[in-house]
Amino acid sequence: MSAPTTGTTPPPEAAGATGQTTAGEAGSPRGRAVGALALAADIGGTFTDVVLADAAGGLWTTKCPTTADPIDGLIAGARQVLDRAGGRPADVARVVHGTTLATNVILERRGAPVAFLTTAGFGSLLELGRQARVEEERHDLFWSPTPSPVPPERTFEVPERIGPRGEVVRPLDEEAAARIVDSVAALDVAAVAICLLHAYANPDHERRLAELCRRRLPGVLVVCSTDVLPQAREHDRAVTTVMSATVGPVMSAYLRRLEGRLRDLGITAPLHVMGSSGDVLSAELAARRAVATVESGPAAGVMAVREIGSALGLPDTLALDMGGTTAKAAVVRDGRPGITPSFSLGGRMSAGGRGGGLTIALPAVDLAEVGAGGGSIAWVDAGGALRLGPRSAGAEPGPACYGRGGTEPTVTDANLVLGYLAADGFTSGGLALDRDRAVAALRSGVAEPLGVDVVAAAAAVHELANAAMASAVHVVSVQRGVDPRRFALVVLGGAGPVHAARLAERFGIRTVVVPQAAGVGSAVGLLECELGHERAATAPAPGRPGGLGESGEPGAGFPGPALTRAADPDAVEAALAQLAADAAAELGVAVADVRVERAADLRYRGQATEVSLPVPAGPVTAATLAELEAAFHRYQRDTYGIVLEDPTELVTLRARVTVPAARPSAPGGPDVGDVRAPATPAGTRRVHLGGPAPSGTGRDDANEGAGDGFTAVPVFRREQLRPGDELAGPALVVAPDTTALVPPGWTAAVHAHGHLILEALTLEAR
Amino acid sequence: MTSPPTDRPTDPLTAEVFRNALAVAAEEAGIVVVRGAHSTFIVEGADAAAAVLDAEGHLVAQSQSTSLSHAASLRSSLPPVLARHPAAGMAPGDVFVTNDVYGGGIHANDLIVFRPVFVEGEARWFTGTLIHVADLGGLSAGGMAADATDVFLEGLQLPPVRLATAEGPVADIEALLAANSRQPDKLLGDVRALVAGTAVAARRVDELVAAHGPDGFAAGVTAAWDYAERRMRQEIAGLADGTYRGAYPIDDDGQVPGRELWVRVTAEVAGDTIRIDFTGTDDQVPAAVNAGASQVLSGVLYAVRSFVDATIPMNEGCFRPIEVVLPEGSLVNPTRPYPGGGRHIAVCAAVEALYEALAQASPEHTVAASGILQGFSIGGRRPDGRHWLHMAFDFGGSGARRGLDGLDAAGGLFGGGRNLIPQVEPIEAAVPLRFEAVELIPDSGGAGRWRGGRGTRTVIELLDDALVDTRGDRLRLPPPGRDGGSPGRPGSYRRRRPDGTEEVLPAKATNLRFERGDRFVMETSGGGGLGAPPPGA
Repeated sequence: MSAPTTGTTPPPEAAGATGQTTAGEAGSPRGRAVGALALAADIGGTFTDVVLADAAGGLWTTKCPTTADPIDGLIAGARQVLDRAGGRPADVARVVHGTTLATNVILERRGAPVAFLTTAGFGSLLELGRQARVEEERHDLFWSPTPSPVPPERTFEVPERIGPRGEVVRPLDEEAAARIVDSVAALDVAAVAICLLHAYANPDHERRLAELCRRRLPGVLVVCSTDVLPQAREHDRAVTTVMSATVGPVMSAYLRRLEGRLRDLGITAPLHVMGSSGDVLSAELAARRAVATVESGPAAGVMAVREIGSALGLPDTLALDMGGTTAKAAVVRDGRPGITPSFSLGGRMSAGGRGGGLTIALPAVDLAEVGAGGGSIAWVDAGGALRLGPRSAGAEPGPACYGRGGTEPTVTDANLVLGYLAADGFTSGGLALDRDRAVAALRSGVAEPLGVDVVAAAAAVHELANAAMASAVHVVSVQRGVDPRRFALVVLGGAGPVHAARLAERFGIRTVVVPQAAGVGSAVGLLECELGHERAATAPAPGRPGGLGESGEPGAGFPGPALTRAADPDAVEAALAQLAADAAAELGVAVADVRVERAADLRYRGQATEVSLPVPAGPVTAATLAELEAAFHRYQRDTYGIVLEDPTELVTLRARVTVPAARPSAPGGPDVGDVRAPATPAGTRRVHLGGPAPSGTGRDDANEGAGDGFTAVPVFRREQLRPGDELAGPALVVAPDTTALVPPGWTAAVHAHGHLILEALTLEAR
Repeated sequence: MTSPPTDRPTDPLTAEVFRNALAVAAEEAGIVVVRGAHSTFIVEGADAAAAVLDAEGHLVAQSQSTSLSHAASLRSSLPPVLARHPAAGMAPGDVFVTNDVYGGGIHANDLIVFRPVFVEGEARWFTGTLIHVADLGGLSAGGMAADATDVFLEGLQLPPVRLATAEGPVADIEALLAANSRQPDKLLGDVRALVAGTAVAARRVDELVAAHGPDGFAAGVTAAWDYAERRMRQEIAGLADGTYRGAYPIDDDGQVPGRELWVRVTAEVAGDTIRIDFTGTDDQVPAAVNAGASQVLSGVLYAVRSFVDATIPMNEGCFRPIEVVLPEGSLVNPTRPYPGGGRHIAVCAAVEALYEALAQASPEHTVAASGILQGFSIGGRRPDGRHWLHMAFDFGGSGARRGLDGLDAAGGLFGGGRNLIPQVEPIEAAVPLRFEAVELIPDSGGAGRWRGGRGTRTVIELLDDALVDTRGDRLRLPPPGRDGGSPGRPGSYRRRRPDGTEEVLPAKATNLRFERGDRFVMETSGGGGLGAPPPGA
């Protein structure tokens, strides 16, 4: 969740890795775009993917290296797909953009200089931080935390104090405030972040300070914590506010420039930006709430998987995006991606959200990321154990088989040696892979230190990559109480489809989907996302006018958060309605024109962590609150096996509003129904199917007679397959951007939508 | 091809896969315990542990979220459970609980729970969980009985007893626990989370045994131990052979102010082994600064692991090359009824003494001493009679490192991060306290070529009458500098009256009466500096 790259990373066979451009076309038998067009661009650290869709389901894609000014690459890609589709810029009705800009600005610390204003006594808030020390960091005498995002000399303490019920404990000292604003003016900052204690309960002091700043500092962005995150927990709110102020001016300038360049090209359609939680924001809102775009790219991939699943009638899917350096896993349940209420950025890469670094307390797609990409380097440690990653050969020098100076063995090298990838430029990408270099790297890096042959070494590296990805899948499924067996695995990224079926076997998953255009899946996902926005607020403490009713501790002078069953239903209803209205207003649409999803975060009384649950439909009544509490207890029982009907607290209320995307219909073709026909292979290739065992240990029974563990299997070319075509494993299906391995015991068929669907014939759930 | 990919977990090619699967089993138990716990002290995995062990108490795997201060706790407390309840008499569904500081435990409030995992009718493996529960009686609400003079004042004592069977919780035990707690509902919530955690890990072990077969699983465990041991030995062999000594003082025991106590250690590095001997450490005292043996063992392992490759997986193999001698009846291995609740004071002294000793074998690892974790609790009664409690702590500054300044306010709890410090807003929403400041103290780190980390000042206004407990150290004797560096600025506990007058509070005290309008002030000590400061600095 912390890698500075997003989306589709270089497929091992993609010629894009050499600086050329590959292109794919599908679903448009006419060859020319018709009707309104939608353009999507996903800019990652290494590659820029651009996709054009027309009203008839035609899809044109391109993948090219990300340029120094990323807008250049985006514009070049847009030109290319428009040319190939014969589309007119003026017909583009929508542009959707996934970007790593916010992430990179934060990680590389090149954001706007920000001043930070907070309550007197808390000037050390950011400097102290709350960074966890995870795993080996805890034993490292020389470890240091991520530095404070604002230095002390730009931090100011404001004499004022609000209490937890919104009461003014100490009025804002106007004179002192004016002096502070003068000092800020002398600093030449681009933005001011304001986070005062308990501002979520009473924003008056923040608003007044902001007014003073705006008056004195024209042209400087002023961000109040209440506008970014009106929720308790001052440190998380402060960091999120500061990040918004840091990224805002950069994002705003970037989007203005991008809009200009698109206009030069003749595209005047509105520009939308992918947000971290799977909603698309208007460019204006993305500039104002830039920190909400931090997980832009990965979110697009997950939304693509959701759409593919929904088109195939598979509401429960596991998304796996395997790139060059990492693999990311996420879950879509009932057509909804798993969402985490906060995540961290800039710490160690880690599955499960314990990564350290800076906490961004905004909803994001719940991803687990592991260092297992096509370029991840395999090595033998001093104890004689085979390890994988976290180092990666990346795109430069790339895997040893790229022949560009890499000498350490990678997952891609292993896949080449095992025959899963072609050495001869069979794929239309054209980059020939050097098998001898792959063998040499595996021999010196793995086989010799372990005293095994090169094929056994390669098989073990392949298996280790599967295991690493399995741990990411495990985090987002089993650890969240989700049984993955009934899910379909949808795999994106060029490197993934070689591993997907075997990964699925580990979880007893019987269906694997290799989408059309899997290599540019994140960009395709952008086309599918709806304009949407979420607002959340801490449930106001009881006792405050307009608050949520009495606490469950009658007569208490200091009651604590409201018990769910004791909350005032009317006040909850009013608060949720207000959140929905605010969210719609920020999107710039009328609340009547949006779909509203409402949620509430509950916890056991006195607990430190909450669970977010949907609020039952209809106006909130006492029965609604009782049902929420029951749902919380069900969740605890189903997820953690805890049967405990203790009272719960209502902590946070959420409203998410969405505007259905005005997009062309999903790519599709003629419905072939159940008509299936055997496909014709284009050739054969010898591939290793013997599992991870060294040869000669009796584990090669799957290929009896092959001896060396290799078997000749048919190779199918993806572009020659038609909907309804069917084939049985073992087989390979090769496309310009990816190769899919269909292991023995699996079949594959081409769906009407063009996706390749792998099914396990017999698979015991494990 | 659906055969298991990892059915030979001893194969070096797939050992890593098997080790990960074991770690996941423990990790899931840890997640369940932390997510399900009611005690507000369990914030983001503080003071929690989860592990898989064999039937002799050997550590198979533990959760990454296991607090380092508990690295040895589960491992050390299983054998006493088995001594009282032989495995042969256990049945599936049985769960046991203990908190015996003399039997591998920690202190009354840290409940340790075990569940046997049956293979072919035999209790062959165990899963264990541990957290600091809400309250279990004793002198002080929440368990911070800093002036306890025997173990009985620290809370209910639990020898290993059966907590649940296949039929469910043992009602008599639950009733006994609840009757001894100031917050019975929270306590029972915590206990059930502990039990649920062991169940989740046991399910995963079952699955792994099914996948690999009983012998395959056992062979995989042995291979994982051998691997960790091999890595530890290789790393220890990199330390210079020799006999090294270190010592670190404790301010006093709180009962006899001003009388310092010493933890002394001799570390003998010989080839790929280390012998760590605490002979010479002062005798146990009838005060809560002694540390149970398992706690000191955790500290020893932590200190040694700071000198070797930190990525070595934590299991029984890590313990094998290290021989530890803990003299019975000393500060580092007390006997009944000497109290052990303030164990981190002796453990952190042991860690500093070991750092001093081991740095002689590896001078690039030289560090100055750190400020320690300073705890406090503030509690009272609501108008309806219910008890409220805020129990928390902050860290002193870390000692300067060779080449790097010390970390601000991050010292003295085994590499804990500041994520363990709760945020102010939720506290103020729940209890009658108002925080006036949580801030770094300028220039509080000891001067030196590399500066010690800074300490913090926390100022809390009491909005109602309350009782305050303190538990601190390294205040009278602030963390010394090393190699010419200066000591850190000493911290303190104080009461500030509404008229502005201040009094210094004892650092190891319970039930100090505060009135509404008083301020509780806690300053943590700065870390020591390293090396003489450059001239003119």
